[in-house]
Amino acid sequence: MLLAPSSFTGYNSPVPSVSQAIHVTVLFFGRLKELTGHAEDTAEFADAATIEQLFAVYAARYPELAKYRSSVVASRNQEFAAWDTPLRSGDEIAFLPPVSGG
Amino acid sequence: MATLSSDDIYQLVRKPIDMAALAQHVRAPEDGAIVTFDGFVRNQSHDRPTLYLDYEAYESMALAKMREIGAQLHEKYRIHRVAVVHRLGRLEIGETSVFIAISAPHRAAAFDACRFAIDTLKRTVPIWKKEYFEDGAVWADGELPPAPAATPRAKPAS
Repeated sequence: MLLAPSSFTGYNSPVPSVSQAIHVTVLFFGRLKELTGHAEDTAEFADAATIEQLFAVYAARYPELAKYRSSVVASRNQEFAAWDTPLRSGDEIAFLPPVSGG
Repeated sequence: MATLSSDDIYQLVRKPIDMAALAQHVRAPEDGAIVTFDGFVRNQSHDRPTLYLDYEAYESMALAKMREIGAQLHEKYRIHRVAVVHRLGRLEIGETSVFIAISAPHRAAAFDACRFAIDTLKRTVPIWKKEYFEDGAVWADGELPPAPAATPRAKPAS
């Protein structure tokens, strides 16, 4: 899915943009997977973005998801990550509800 | 001293866990104790009869986190071998969902390490269970893993 929420202008501009589009894989688990109807998705940003901004895009699309923001942790490439972590192209970002293994 | 972690086992499986084989795997002549933890499916949750559970995992990350726990165990405790196996998919009442076996020269380290292993697994390994009841299903209450609060910034100019 094409997100490109912010300035999309530079993308098709004849003048090469300084920043390149960022493509990430997005994973949802547990109840978040049920809420979004996605186990896996791909997202694209025209400009720099953080994990928080990525979540916000999905929260806007699936309002139920927004309610769970305080009980979600994010991971970047299989490591728990802070919400302000910048996305890099090729990242695998996952949104994880409280874990209940064992 | 070498951690011998190459002899450790960290697995996610979809078939019944062979507990005897895992306990045997961690057993070695230089050890004097094995402590095991067998976590299995309870027949009720908050006083509601449970029909069965369904486990799912973020498998690549779950395995990475299980190995991380193993590394911590070897750092913190004088233990020998570790086996940590979690089962995924549908589990019936009484079936083992997680099994941990830890060998050590002396019992205290094995007990402490086993407790640390299951407690840390339940807090940090991305696995989820859905509980099925007569009248529906719910995702089990879980624990929110500790995550970094914010990315450290370059130190401010001062």
